[in-house]
Amino acid sequence: MPETGQASSGSSIRRSTSSSRRKPKKNQIPLGMLVVALMVVVGLVQANREPMLGFYWMMGGIFGFILQKSRFCFTASMRDPCITGSTSVTRAVLIAFAITTIMFTAIKFGYASMGLPVPGMSYVTPISFATAAGGILFGIGMVIAGGCASGTLMRVGEGFFMQILSLFFFVVGSLVGAAHFGWWKEKFIIHGPSVFLPDVFGWVGAVVVQLLIIACLYKAAVLWEEKKIGGTQD
Amino acid sequence: MAEFTLDCLGEACPVPLMKTEKKLEGLAVGDILIVSIDHSCAMKNIPEWARKQGHNVEIDEVDDGEWEVVIEKTK
Repeated sequence: MPETGQASSGSSIRRSTSSSRRKPKKNQIPLGMLVVALMVVVGLVQANREPMLGFYWMMGGIFGFILQKSRFCFTASMRDPCITGSTSVTRAVLIAFAITTIMFTAIKFGYASMGLPVPGMSYVTPISFATAAGGILFGIGMVIAGGCASGTLMRVGEGFFMQILSLFFFVVGSLVGAAHFGWWKEKFIIHGPSVFLPDVFGWVGAVVVQLLIIACLYKAAVLWEEKKIGGTQD
Repeated sequence: MAEFTLDCLGEACPVPLMKTEKKLEGLAVGDILIVSIDHSCAMKNIPEWARKQGHNVEIDEVDDGEWEVVIEKTK
């Protein structure tokens, strides 16, 4: 696929409205340098107060940069297969899942093999119909809002006005949800079983099973695109 | 060969793509459609969709964060 995002110079499509009416673009590089310098200063100040704060600040900045530059979008990964039949973003997300599966298992196995408590076990939460219901609600919301949590934050950073509105109601909804979470947890969530795959299949088995599922989904995504469009061209 | 414009400024994904899909359907082969967008995500999925359909596509960054996607309908 040709490089997108760059202004075309040698135009092959003849169009009457020439692009000469275009206003000259402001050079954003000095401003960008200034922002990077400010971010480094803020990061250093934070790291002085509490080393982890500086680390979080740095990771947040890097994550946002990669998200914006790669146009990685979890919403598009679920939505585009339905709208256009394109699964290129879906497959990118599946590859990301495969990589994180291996990396996180490596981290957890490292701790377990040294006899230390495995980190991140508080995220092994019960699954029930509440998980599915929540997923469907979140999916509807993210398609209407034009972005999931990270996508909305990234586009607010780009200055897209409509999603500043999304962000506002995202915050409102999160606050309401957080206030009511205890009730839902007690009434529904806690009753579901919680499964940690390495407990069931062993460490190697868990990675193999999860990668196999991801591989099947990847194959399904390829077949879906072939059926809807006729071949993956990228 | 006629030229049409479609203003999708301020519209979030996937609205620009769906509008483009609808608009292009009514055009004749050889017609050109210029879609104005300012949602970075549409800058990726409109060209991708149109190229997969086999149309000629060009992207023009008219301003910081504002693009024109030029599509020539080929079939």
